[in-house]
Amino acid sequence: MKLKLPKPSFWLITLAVIWAAGIISVVYRFYNGLGAATNLSDQFPWGIWIGFDILIGVALAAGGFAVCATIYIFNLKEYRPIGRPTVLTAFLGYVLVIVALLVDLGKPYNVWHVITMWNHHSVMFEVGWCVMLYTTVLFLEFLPAFFERFRMVFWQDLFHRILIPLVIAGVILSTLHQSSLGSLYLIVPTKLHPIWYSGMLPVFFFISALAGGLAMVIFESYLSARAFGKGIEHRLLAQISRVIAVVLMIYLVLRLQNMVERGAFKHVFDGSSEGIFFLIEIILGYITPMMLFFNARIRESKAGLFFGAVLTLFGLVMNRLNVAITGMARSAGVEYLPSWMEVAVTLSVIAAGLFIFRLASKYLPVFPREEKTGVHQPPLIEAGGSGKLAMGLLAGLLILVLAGFGYSLAVTRPNQSVDVPQAAQAIAAESLEFPAPIEFVQSEESPGQVIFNHESHVDTSAPNCKNCHAGLFSIRASKAGTAVQTRAVGHDQCGTCHNGEKAFNYEESCDGCHMSTE
Amino acid sequence: MKAAILTDLTKCVGCEACALACKEINDLPRDSANHMLTAYTWSAMEHRNGVNIRRQCMHCEEPACASACPVGALSKTPEGAVVYDGRKCIGCRYCMIACPFGIPKYQWDKPIPLIQKCIFCYEKALKAGEQPACTAACPTGATIFGERQALIAEAQQRISSTPEKYQPHIFGLKEAGGTSVLYTSAVPFAELGFPANLIEESYPNLTWKVLNKIPGIVTTGTAFLAGLWWIVNRRIKLQEKPDETL
Repeated sequence: MKLKLPKPSFWLITLAVIWAAGIISVVYRFYNGLGAATNLSDQFPWGIWIGFDILIGVALAAGGFAVCATIYIFNLKEYRPIGRPTVLTAFLGYVLVIVALLVDLGKPYNVWHVITMWNHHSVMFEVGWCVMLYTTVLFLEFLPAFFERFRMVFWQDLFHRILIPLVIAGVILSTLHQSSLGSLYLIVPTKLHPIWYSGMLPVFFFISALAGGLAMVIFESYLSARAFGKGIEHRLLAQISRVIAVVLMIYLVLRLQNMVERGAFKHVFDGSSEGIFFLIEIILGYITPMMLFFNARIRESKAGLFFGAVLTLFGLVMNRLNVAITGMARSAGVEYLPSWMEVAVTLSVIAAGLFIFRLASKYLPVFPREEKTGVHQPPLIEAGGSGKLAMGLLAGLLILVLAGFGYSLAVTRPNQSVDVPQAAQAIAAESLEFPAPIEFVQSEESPGQVIFNHESHVDTSAPNCKNCHAGLFSIRASKAGTAVQTRAVGHDQCGTCHNGEKAFNYEESCDGCHMSTE
Repeated sequence: MKAAILTDLTKCVGCEACALACKEINDLPRDSANHMLTAYTWSAMEHRNGVNIRRQCMHCEEPACASACPVGALSKTPEGAVVYDGRKCIGCRYCMIACPFGIPKYQWDKPIPLIQKCIFCYEKALKAGEQPACTAACPTGATIFGERQALIAEAQQRISSTPEKYQPHIFGLKEAGGTSVLYTSAVPFAELGFPANLIEESYPNLTWKVLNKIPGIVTTGTAFLAGLWWIVNRRIKLQEKPDETL
């Protein structure tokens, strides 16, 4: 049986539906607030817009700086073909991260404050600056593709001169930025689950982003080869996969060793959902792709490379979601599942990324080489039976993980807070200290001074301030100890109770309250 | 003076006068619930396990929220209050993530929201040396205002004179590097929903330890990469033109 590629019209319709839902969600969010559009709460203030769109969007862009450094600093010119696609991926990644950020921020029009109102003690401040600067650098790094396309020789030449400083700036900024996203969580030692909390978070974020960014090169190359017969030589991709294997190995050694040092392994096998999520992350997303990429036969096959890259990306996604959501859920004490609008915005952002990447690869010199082979099938399908099996496994895995997420979040966490106002009021009233008698200010028609005593107005067996405060009467006392009126007190207020039902009627007895003047 | 608040949970009758006074001075809507902190309840009264627990911002000596805020919208004043400037705020909610006590709340219902929390009545009272509305309103002296060291001494005195009545623990003395709001209680704090696993190191220091390395990383990194590029490039040139001395 031959699998047919879906018609473009199908994808266009899907795209239109996703974008329509995304646009509606964004409009709704800005009109009604984050509370109405998302499932975020005071207990869970950061959801998938941060955990997925931003943390993962940035991490996938990490291929950009690694490849640029390889080509220009280490002068390994053979890698040049992958330079542009990775820079473009990184640039698009950052632009879309900024879009998601602006939707998530409460006051997006204030985002420029990061430029003028410095708080250099804040990791978020560092993150903000890195996003701004590195997006600029990536834009500049991608400009030569335009110059080449439109034959602007002068500009091409100029850029050639500033390329090295630009690349160095990119590497430094990217290193800072990738690690700073991990540093964000350094300040929550008591909120993030011990499986993930570590002083090494910035280092872990950096290394795993490196692996993910490189896996993205393989992933995209295949997609683009399939779409327009443009791609990167298999030999180069196989070399990248070897690098990924080494990076994953270093990551695993550091991370597992760190967990042993912190005694975090006892949480892995305690049957908690966190432990299971960690095992899925580390076994499927790190150990499996590492072993695949260390195997020469796998590296030689297209399907093997693609499968390994997908698993590496899966590991990265799992890690970031585990830090941002799974690991924070227990301390938050609430369930968080994204609302459909959060999902719609996230999908729109991903769709926009793929769409622009597709446009750029079609019209700009992004991929170097035209593959002569005709129709391209998805690499896993091309590989025949085993490829289909692998794809099935992958889909099953995804469903399993999603179901797991849903289940673990749906398990209600106990909320011990019980509202027992009666019990509270029954507490001995002998410790009550009433305010000093309050002298009300007299109006001109007043027949005499009124002095209010709490003693005669409060049932000491069940004192309840709320009967009168803070609506009917102001509750705030003055500094001298004698209460003052912050609002005029008159018959309207006293008469609420002094109406002949709860207490004597004020209209019938002036001297019940007003002291005679003689 | 370092202003502080001491709340003695053994003396609290749960009348909510503090919560009501807070709403009054800050013009907060009275119809919202008082039993938990929200953007519209900055001082709450929770009744749990037969104990009345006053909840409010702890006003940390070294506040995690102020260190987390990228634009300095949150800051610790010399008087001891952790205050908020909504005009600076960009709404990133990192303060909410960073706060170990989960204090800053968000106006989820507003298209243009603010972070909200107790600000120690800074503008309306503390700045002028007056006590905040909540302690002024307390009819039992369960929550009192004073100088931090004096209140610590008072709490210690209460605990040592009637040890059978108190847990031997002043919450806020060392938690998160010390706070300006202190608690004493007859019941262990962990049973009352107070975070039990707090570290005593200052929270801002956790991120500062990494952030202060940035200048070093930038300078050394740039020098290293530039040097590397120069060496590699020179070698290639030498290979191409071995006769010339470069």
